[in-house]
Parts: sequence; structure tokens; C-alpha cells
Amino acid sequence: MTSTSTPELKIVIAGIGGQGIVFLTRLISQTAVNLGYRVVVSETHGMSQRGGAVFSHLKVNGSDAPLIQRGSADLMIALDANEALQNMDYMRRGGTVFVNSKDGLRPEIAPHLERLNIRVASLPASAIAVELGSAAATNIVMAGFVAAYDALNLPLENMIETIKQAASKGAERNLKALEAGFQAGQRQIESAQKIPSE
Amino acid sequence: MNSQLLTGNEAIALGIVEQGCRVATAYPGTPSSEILAGVVKYKKRLNRDVYTEWSVNEKVAFEVALAASWTGLRAAVAMKQVGLNVASDPLFSAAYTGVKGGFVVIPADDPGPHSSQTEQDSRLLALTAKVPVFDPSTPAEAREMVKDAFELSEWFRIPVIVRPTTRLCHAVSPSDVDESSTSGEAPSAKFQKDPTHWTATPKLRYKLHTELNQKLTDIAAEFSNSKHNYIADAEAGGGVGIVASGVAFLTAQQALTELGVRVPMLKIGTPYPLPTSYVESFCALFQTVIVLEEPDACIELQIPNRDQVRGRLDGSVPNAGELTPEVMFSILHKVFSEAGIQVNASPEDGELSAFIKTLSLPVRRPRLCPGCSHRSAFYSMKRTFGPRAIYPGDIGCYTLGTNLRAVDTFVDMGASITMANGFFQANRLAGDERAIVASIGDSTFLHSGIPPLINAVHTGARFVLLILDNHTTAMTGFQPTPANDYLADGSEAPRKVSIPDLVRACGVEYLKVTDPYEQEDFTEILKEAQAYAQSPEGGVAVIIADRPCVLYDPSPVVEEPLPVIVTDECDGCRFCTEVFECPALILRPDGSRVDIDYKICIDCGQCIDACYKGFIVPKVAEVAA
Ligand code: SF4
Ligand code: SF4
Repeated sequence: MTSTSTPELKIVIAGIGGQGIVFLTRLISQTAVNLGYRVVVSETHGMSQRGGAVFSHLKVNGSDAPLIQRGSADLMIALDANEALQNMDYMRRGGTVFVNSKDGLRPEIAPHLERLNIRVASLPASAIAVELGSAAATNIVMAGFVAAYDALNLPLENMIETIKQAASKGAERNLKALEAGFQAGQRQIESAQKIPSE
Repeated sequence: MNSQLLTGNEAIALGIVEQGCRVATAYPGTPSSEILAGVVKYKKRLNRDVYTEWSVNEKVAFEVALAASWTGLRAAVAMKQVGLNVASDPLFSAAYTGVKGGFVVIPADDPGPHSSQTEQDSRLLALTAKVPVFDPSTPAEAREMVKDAFELSEWFRIPVIVRPTTRLCHAVSPSDVDESSTSGEAPSAKFQKDPTHWTATPKLRYKLHTELNQKLTDIAAEFSNSKHNYIADAEAGGGVGIVASGVAFLTAQQALTELGVRVPMLKIGTPYPLPTSYVESFCALFQTVIVLEEPDACIELQIPNRDQVRGRLDGSVPNAGELTPEVMFSILHKVFSEAGIQVNASPEDGELSAFIKTLSLPVRRPRLCPGCSHRSAFYSMKRTFGPRAIYPGDIGCYTLGTNLRAVDTFVDMGASITMANGFFQANRLAGDERAIVASIGDSTFLHSGIPPLINAVHTGARFVLLILDNHTTAMTGFQPTPANDYLADGSEAPRKVSIPDLVRACGVEYLKVTDPYEQEDFTEILKEAQAYAQSPEGGVAVIIADRPCVLYDPSPVVEEPLPVIVTDECDGCRFCTEVFECPALILRPDGSRVDIDYKICIDCGQCIDACYKGFIVPKVAEVAA
């Protein structure tokens, strides 16, 4: 059963070799496939994985072309703040960027983001992952964070299902990381709502 | 039946297994490396009896599979595009002799290039060799084309190429996988002698050539009815038409959506031999036709009348580099604007893009891993021979030795040794006495290093050769070599080949096998080797730097860790970060000192000697002090 009820989504996932970009991409795309969405992904393999910049492009219910055109991505998930900046020109007006960072993005870019109405949500995912005892789970913490914002139209339960389905050794660790990222995201959303508007 | 996410490479592998292929061979190379690994995976899942082999090089891989085809079995061989150069000798010959069982050749092209020394187009090599080609756009189509390629190969008794490109190899999309399949029957095929084909003499070869030409004419006719060639959006009007193939077809479709234009697009899945009259009748409908293909002009070249055709040959499409979405958009934007067709502007915000360039963000170039033994070997080598020595390098992770200025040349697989040989002779004539120190990995040495070594020994060349033996083919994902004790499917290898024995058998008289982590001993051996190379009786001195890749087998480091710290005396001179270049050594943003990133440091202790001032020290020593 293929469902096209979810809108077209173009997602850039960016980071550095060794951060688990491919795994994060697979988690999201498998969850989307399980929900019956059409998915096309482009991954980086080879030389760049030796510490170079790594990215995936992921399209849900969109074109079959592997790559996203600059200026048209709806979302970005960046595991590294510099890579978020490096890939910023992929974002469309009104898109959203989720970044693993203690203190957001470099302030110089703010006027451009404002002009283009690009929102940035940041989370110190690496620190959270280290607290959980596994720096390598930073990518999954970010997945939970994005799920809290419901930006992917992929419910948390379905991501949990995908992780369980994979039945890998790290499943338990990944479930904890996903949950931690989700809760951190929810706290962020709640506290933003508490701020009285003007 | 269930829906699984497959990469293009996996979809090709699944196609190979489900079509009853019995012999599949390959030599690893990005972007093709996961094809054979996929064949191993699906032969196990689908319970099929397929012989799989990581061959020693592409020529060997090609010929092993070809022999299977000559017995009547279906066979396939995969490689990256430059691997087809290595296998081009049997490719050209097999086009003449023909095949018996379906024989599919899969060379993966790398427009860009992303991880290759050239952007060559395997379809053009196929055109020269006179071998038909399928050119898939999506993983699902690649799987389908593998099926059709086997059938075409059997009908016409000809090798058939399925040519993916990087973006397809590494694209992922869902495919239905039927895992219920059970193993086919034992093959009844037997090799039958046939002197008119399998041992054709030059006179017969002429006849075979005319037969081959006839086959191509017939195949072109067949292709004009192929379901892989069709017109998308035929009803759309306008004076412009598009002919496209492979990933460029999808990228063009996406660009049309962004441009807000609809035009008819002829999708070509069989670029050689091109069904020319079919293509020409499409072209005749338009004032302008633009041909979009990667990485070079293959379809365009075969269109007899190109008066209204635009593409790579007339400069409308850049004649180098990948057709990324941005490049595609700007090509089409120009073509449509010139034809007076209204189009949308690029969605890219030029101001933002320009601003990002001004941020001077750190460029993340690929580097040797933390604790990589190649770094230790190169560091000792540079310390011993200095910047003036000539360092011919080769193809593998250790090509990244260029970062350490420990690699001065790389040409192709095995060329480190031949280049060293040539430099020696040229330098001798010019009276240049600089040291020459070549480096090559274990897999690359076995692939193409042995004839060069024999040549250098026999002609009396004098240089030092480092064989960086990390016990695997690391760059492409740890495929076994003939020096390993296991085979492609994980089973035990009946025999392993000894690299030291091979080196000795090539006539080398100076050979040392040593651990590059023992930097002091290693340095002594380097000096000794150079002294031997220059002595009156000297020749090629070979050092095998023997230590497993830390990613592939971290156990030696895990068992004997040597954690280090950078002391407070560190003054941020950058010597270690620039000359040793371990990614775990991080210069503070203010440049004041270096810290160790313990998240990625593997406690190998190899950087202790990288601070000549002695500020990188073992952790225990510091505690004791
Ligand atoms: S993968 Fe192995 S050989 Fe390659 S850089 Fe890393 S440690 Fe070195
Ligand atoms: S001990 Fe030194 S050389 Fe080894 S990984 Fe850590 S920082 Fe790099």
C-alpha cells in the first residue's frame, strides 16, 4: 500500500564521516517506507567517509532524482554546526533546520535566515548522548529531537518500531537516545510556548 | 514478498542473483563495491548456489566470469569504470568471440569525479569495443535491466554492459524482495570446444568481426522497440525536446518541475547501439533538442544529423563534471530562455550562497583515520628522507598521504612501482641522486604491483618500496585480498598467498617485514634499506609495513593501549597537527595549544614522537610525575 497522504518533503542530512549519517538516514527512510510513503535517498560512500563532509538527501513522496536542488529543501538535520552552515543554501524559504549544537549557529547568518524565514532549532545532542554513555548515539538523539517537532510526519512510535525491527545490538541504546532527544525537544517546545507573546 | 530499502548496488546484486547467475566476480572500487557484497547477501537469503569471488584484479575477474559463460552458465562481473580499463583487453576480445551463457558486465561510472582518477564514460569504451549497453536511472530499473541484459546476451551471444553511475549506485529506494525463492536446478551446462569461436585465428576473427557488426545492427533494431526507450510527457508542446538517459533523466525531470515547464522527453535506456531512426524521428519534431547524459557524449555522438541538437559536443552542456541539479537547472534555463519559453528563476538564494562562502568554514577533507598505521609509516618516511626525496604513491587510503606530503604522484593501480622505476632511470641520466621511496598497499600490490616489481628488479632500478600491508582492502570497505584467509562469502580460503614470498620470488634481495608502530626501528630499517639501494650491489629494497587497519581490526591497539595527553607546555606550534595530522589532535580556535579529542582518539600513542619538544606524553607517565 502506497500512501501519498503526506506532503512532499525534501530533507538534507549533513555531518562528518563517522557521525552515523547513513544510519540516521536509514532510520528515517525505513520509517517512511513502513508508513507506505515513496522514498528516494542519495547517500555518500567511499573516500569522504574518512572524516570528510558527509551528507544524505532524502525525498519523501517527491521526485525520483537522487539529489535535492539548492534552494528547495524543506528540512535539514545537521550533526555538526559548520556543516549546517555549509549546506544552508539547500534550504528553501520558510524551511527548518535542526542542528546539533550547544549554542545554535554563528550569529552572522541570522539576518539571512530571518530574511528567508528559515527557522533553526538547536540541541546539544552530543552532550546528551555522552550523558547516556554513548557519544556514537548523537545521530539518534537528533532523530528524537526532530520527531518532537513533528517535522517529518513520522510519529515517534513508528521510529521506535523501526529500531526494534532492525533488531541490532545497539537497539536498546538507540531507543534510549531516541527517547532522550524526543523529551529534550518537547521541553524546548513547551518552554517556548510559556514565553508570553509580546 | 516484502518491500525493502535497497541501494542501486543492492538492486543490481538482487537482479544478478534472481536471474540465475551462477558465477559473479568483482574487484572493489567506489562506487561499485557493494555489488558483489550484495550478491553474497542475496545468494544466502534466496538460497541460490552462486560462486562469488573478489578477484585479484578486474582483468582476472572478467576472465573468470567469461569462462563460466563459455560453459553455458550465466555470469556477471562488476568493477568501477577505471577497472574496465584493466579488463578492456578481454572485453574487446570477448565481443568478437561472443559468449554462451548470459554474460553481464557492470562498470560503475563516476561523474564528478567523486572518487576516481578520471570521469571516463564506460559507454564510450563499450562503443569502441562494440558491446551493447543498458543505462539505468533508478535502482528498480537497474534490477530490471540486469534481467534484460542476461536475455539479450543469450539471444545474441554477446557480452552486455549495464552501466550505473555513482548517484544511482548510492541511491536508495524501496524494492519488492521475494525471499521465498529456492535454489534453481543444478546446471547442466558443460564446456564444449568450438575452434571457430574460442580459439579463432586472425582470419576467423575477421569473420567474427563482421558477425559482430551484424549483431549490433540487429540489436539496434531490437532496441528501437525496447521498453527502456520511451517518450515521457509526449503531449506537452513547444519547440524544445529533451533526450536524456541515466540519472540525468531524473535530474532533468526535477529541473523541469522547478522551471515550471513541460516538454516531451525521450528517455534512452539503451545508449549503444543507439536506435538512431527512432531517435531521429523524435528530434525531427523540434526546433531544438538538448541531449542530457553522463559523464560524456555517447547518445549525442551517435545522432547522425545534429543540426538542431545541442549537448556536450556544442558546449551547451559543460564537457566536464557532474550534471548536478543546479547545473541541470542552469543548462535548461538557458535553452528555454533562448527559445523564448517563460521559465521560473532559480530557487537558490544567491545572496545566501555568496555569504556562506565568506564564512571561511573549515573544509573537511578526507584524512587517514586516528591511529592509522599508514600515518606512522609516512611520518617515519618523511623524517628519514625529508622533503626533497621523491615519493611515488598509489591508489588506496594511503593516497591520503598527500596530506602529509608523503605522496608525490599517483597515476593508476600499481603505478607507484613503475613510476619509481622510471624516476630512477631519468634521474640517473640527469645525475639527480635524490632518494626515491614508493608506497603501495597490499591489495593494490597484488592487483597490479607484481609485474612492475619484476621489471624494476630485472632492469636494475634502485629505490625503496614500502608495501603498506594493513591486511585488507580498507578504502572500499574491507574486502579480502589473496593474502587473507577468507573468501568473498566469508568461507575459509583454501590457501593464502604470502606477500613476502611473492616479493622474494620477484628477485628482491633486500626485504624486511616490520611494524610501522615501532617508529624507531622502522626508521632504522628505512635508512638501512636506502643504504642497500645505493650500495654497489644494491637494487630495489622492499619494506613490508605490517599492521592491520585500525578500523578493520582494532584488537592490537585495544589490547595494548597507550593513552596520551598533551601537557600544559604545548605552545600551539602546529607541528603535530600539520606534519602528523591525526584527526584527534585539535588546535584550539585561538591557536594557543593542541588538545586531544578523546571521542575519536584510539589511544594508539603514535603521536608521542610527533611533538619534537616532548609535550605529548603517555598518560601514566604524567600521573607518576
Ligand atoms: S580505514 Fe584503515 S587504512 Fe584506511 S585510513 Fe582508516 S585506519 Fe587507515
Ligand atoms: S593517541 Fe595520538 S595518534 Fe593515536 S589516535 Fe590519539 S591523538 Fe591520534
